[in-house]
Amino acid sequence: MRKKKIMALMLSAALALTTIGCGGGNNGTTGESSSDATQSGSQTADAGAEQSGVTLRFLDVSPSETRQKYYEGVFEKFKEETGISVVYESVPWDDAANKITVLGASDQLPDVLTTHSGWLGQLTSSEWIIPLTDYLGDSTEDYTVAVNKLFWQSEIDRFGDIYTIPDGMMVKGIFVRKDWCEELGIELDPAKGWTYDEYFEVVEKLTDVEKKHYGVSYRGARGAFDPLMTYLQNYTGGNTYDSEGNILIKSDECREAFQKWTDLYRNGYAPEDSINWGFTEMVDNFVGGLTGTLMNDSEVAPTCMENMEDDQWMVMPVPKSEKDGKLYNLINGSYSLSISSDSENPDAAWQLIEFLARTENSSNYCRLSGLIPIKKDAAEDELYGEGGPYYTFTMQLNDPDLVVPATIGAFDYTDMHQGVMHEEIQKYLLGDIDADTALDTIADELEIRMKKYLEEHPETSVEKALVMQ
Amino acid sequence: MKRTTSRRIETVIRVIVLTFYGLLVVLPIYWMVITSFKTNPEIVNTQHITYFPETFTLENYQSLFRMLSYSTYLKNSIIVTLVSAIVIVFLSILGGYGLARFKFKGKGGVLIFFMLTQMIPCILVIIPLYIVFSKMGLINTRIALFIYYVITNCPFCVVTMRSFFERIPYELEEAAYVDGCGRLETLWRVVLPVMFSGIVAVFVFAFIGAWNELIAGTIFLNTPDMWTIPVGLKSLIGKYSVQWGALMAGGVLALLPTAIMFMFVQRYVVEGMTAGAVKG
Amino acid sequence: MSKRANDEKRAMGALSRRRKNMPYYFMLPVLLPLVLLFGYPLIKSCIIAFQNYKLGNPDIYFNDFENFRKLFADRDFFLILKNSLIYVIGSVAGQFFLGLGLALALKKKFPGRGIYQSIVFLPWAFSAFVVGLLFRWSFNGEYGVVNDLLLKLNIVEKGPAWLGTPGLSLLVVTIAMIWIGIPFFGIMILAALQSIPNDVFEAADIDGCGIFRKFFSITVPYIKPTIIITILLRTIWIFNSFDLIIIMTEGGPANYSQTLPSYIYTKAFSAYDFGLAGAFGLMLMLILGMYAVVFLKISNYEEAGDF
Repeated sequence: MRKKKIMALMLSAALALTTIGCGGGNNGTTGESSSDATQSGSQTADAGAEQSGVTLRFLDVSPSETRQKYYEGVFEKFKEETGISVVYESVPWDDAANKITVLGASDQLPDVLTTHSGWLGQLTSSEWIIPLTDYLGDSTEDYTVAVNKLFWQSEIDRFGDIYTIPDGMMVKGIFVRKDWCEELGIELDPAKGWTYDEYFEVVEKLTDVEKKHYGVSYRGARGAFDPLMTYLQNYTGGNTYDSEGNILIKSDECREAFQKWTDLYRNGYAPEDSINWGFTEMVDNFVGGLTGTLMNDSEVAPTCMENMEDDQWMVMPVPKSEKDGKLYNLINGSYSLSISSDSENPDAAWQLIEFLARTENSSNYCRLSGLIPIKKDAAEDELYGEGGPYYTFTMQLNDPDLVVPATIGAFDYTDMHQGVMHEEIQKYLLGDIDADTALDTIADELEIRMKKYLEEHPETSVEKALVMQ
Repeated sequence: MKRTTSRRIETVIRVIVLTFYGLLVVLPIYWMVITSFKTNPEIVNTQHITYFPETFTLENYQSLFRMLSYSTYLKNSIIVTLVSAIVIVFLSILGGYGLARFKFKGKGGVLIFFMLTQMIPCILVIIPLYIVFSKMGLINTRIALFIYYVITNCPFCVVTMRSFFERIPYELEEAAYVDGCGRLETLWRVVLPVMFSGIVAVFVFAFIGAWNELIAGTIFLNTPDMWTIPVGLKSLIGKYSVQWGALMAGGVLALLPTAIMFMFVQRYVVEGMTAGAVKG
Repeated sequence: MSKRANDEKRAMGALSRRRKNMPYYFMLPVLLPLVLLFGYPLIKSCIIAFQNYKLGNPDIYFNDFENFRKLFADRDFFLILKNSLIYVIGSVAGQFFLGLGLALALKKKFPGRGIYQSIVFLPWAFSAFVVGLLFRWSFNGEYGVVNDLLLKLNIVEKGPAWLGTPGLSLLVVTIAMIWIGIPFFGIMILAALQSIPNDVFEAADIDGCGIFRKFFSITVPYIKPTIIITILLRTIWIFNSFDLIIIMTEGGPANYSQTLPSYIYTKAFSAYDFGLAGAFGLMLMLILGMYAVVFLKISNYEEAGDF
């Protein structure tokens, strides 16, 4: 009798503790339910009324103080207007890809998710996100030429549909230490541009190991192949494969280019540590004053503005090709918005995306994140005009020589991107294998996958480089 | 005469050894603390590495509280960790007692199973669990983390607790039974008080195991208001910058609660483990 | 040993007068959740190891050891295996010897021992994440304090890129691992040392035994069981841990600091190939299982399966 009593007591104590501790944890996923007061404020004519009261989940893959504040503010406004509430979820950028995989595999993806362009192959092939072409309809005309001709065209070429709405356009440029150049008497003019050889020369001149000045933020780890690939495509007319799916980057010219690029590291123009550098370290070390140039997206500009003096840095366009004088530059969204196939309210999710893409909201967002606006009527901002910090980027978008090189392919190559693609180059940099072996291993594997993909998708044609005109 | 010299030599050696260990531990911690009080330009100045902040600043700590809802993470961490640790202690007492005092069918199997649980790579546990949890609607709740922490820490704690029980002479219990006490009552009134320090030791093991866990945290939690301290800290490594100053400040703050706890309980941990040391 | 059996017998004796299934009441609350929540993943990963199981791909089928073929064909498999062994052996050996030294130094009381203990045991309270960052930061080739010190002390002329050099990057990860693990060994061994009855030493003193003789013929036999169990547990834990590696090097450069579990982690998530990850996992459990059996046999530990 007594025994039972004690047992019961202990058990209930444990239970009580559990419930006290964990009971509070259930909010978040469900969020608050509808609020009647805001319903009347609904302005969206079509689906608006019936969607009111719905709760959407939104996943941010690159959370920061600024972004969270922006989104929470905008969601507030959205709720006032439509009665749809949005829960802001986020995952640290480092774990984002993993997290999305887990969410996708267990049918738990939030309604709207921000995506990185490199994930699209996987997201579309496993049908975790839905096409947006029908939702967009004629509204594509409101978006800039770059969004239409470059961004969406590339998605249509690769996946047959438009799957994402860019949050803003990202253009690459080369961030340069202005003060170092001035000290050394190097003159740079963004309007005039430069070629790759001129760029390499500047890198060499800026290097002064005694002073701990290195010429370039070299990317050695994950993603190392991306900027190199663009450089190789300078010699292939911007294409990756020929129409049969044979890879083009194994030519003698490309082999030479591969050497030249990796020599930046081998000749000591980059810190030895940089063999392990990813995105973060490249930017960090440029801003911190270890390296003199950094090839990266306009997205980095706010970081520079925040941490460096105005006379310390400037932006040069991406160098033009030695071969044909074209400007090969990747144009992308930064975290494009997509609707997951797990969403029970895709219409409401679309309403949210439309709301976020509205000129007032998206310009606001682009300014915070260092992106080029996606809507035609937003492009007149002085920030993007001559003299503004983003002029070099918008200028490149209007350059008649601009070519957007073809991507690696529509097949899923995430595993290569996180493995072979940089590991082979690292092995070459460490002297374990020679340059040709490194390039061939990567190129051959890509070719195998491309051919297999073409075999499985006979209706698709091989993607070509894109131009605006 | 000979005795005193050898004593003296022994003392000198001990002082040297103790200083060595002291420095080994303190220097990295010193570096972390110092970095957390430096300004960012000073941190990334490659020309001149400073061993004491030239300009002492609280900026990193301020920005930590500004950027992150540190107090929310702290609250989450404390709730999940504390509840897990208490439940683990409770379960370990039951399981440890069961293993120590009874012979039953499948006991060897239980021990082998415990050993096996330590061998599974955690990622192969987390993914299937995620799918189960999501079906039960437990994702983004503290319950998910709580369950995970309890099951991953239990095997070690149960077995440790078992060795504590084995150290306690059965005569103690027997006397109570003769007095007509039931088994649970004896356990509660007679046995547990004797092993107080052992219980503290197990609690500390469980607490630390859960407090520092990161991977399950990132996978099971979705919204920042649920994040624990390690997950929150991880978000400081942004796409474009590692904020070393803030990260180090975060490290200091994450360490503080456990360090304070350590000051008070380390005595019991050693004492407890001594009582339960595997028999020779 | 015989005492334990005796206690068990007596306890069972007391039991038979009451109810036979008493032990299960005690074990069930622990076992039930563990069996359910570990058993399912355990069985599941054994099955998927033999399947073509890719996340997001609904087409799951048994693929006839394909995953294992892929595993052995992996161009870096043996490098990774080698790294894992170096990492585990280096870490465990380092932790053990340094932990033993610490325990011996702490054995005798001295003023301030309490405070000293709470400081030297601190690394145990660190999360691998914070330690990883701290060491990554300290061993940074350009900003790192380690290189600065080495330069100032004139030990090297140019500080190496620790985390960017094959061999060195694994070394740094191992050093960080040792640092975290010394206290655990220290506490366990110290506890074992303190449980040696004092009269044994006194008797040895009277017999005129020297320090070394005392150490090897009294101390070691007494603490041997603790050492065996602690080494076994630590080996399993370290072999299975990958957070430090992911945080410090991500296995780089070129897989030179990659170990089996960190590779499983990357494989599972970069290729979404859970079948392959499962195969690697099975492999890892097999290695650990074999290790446990052999280790316990060699060390003559009485009860296999006990820890």
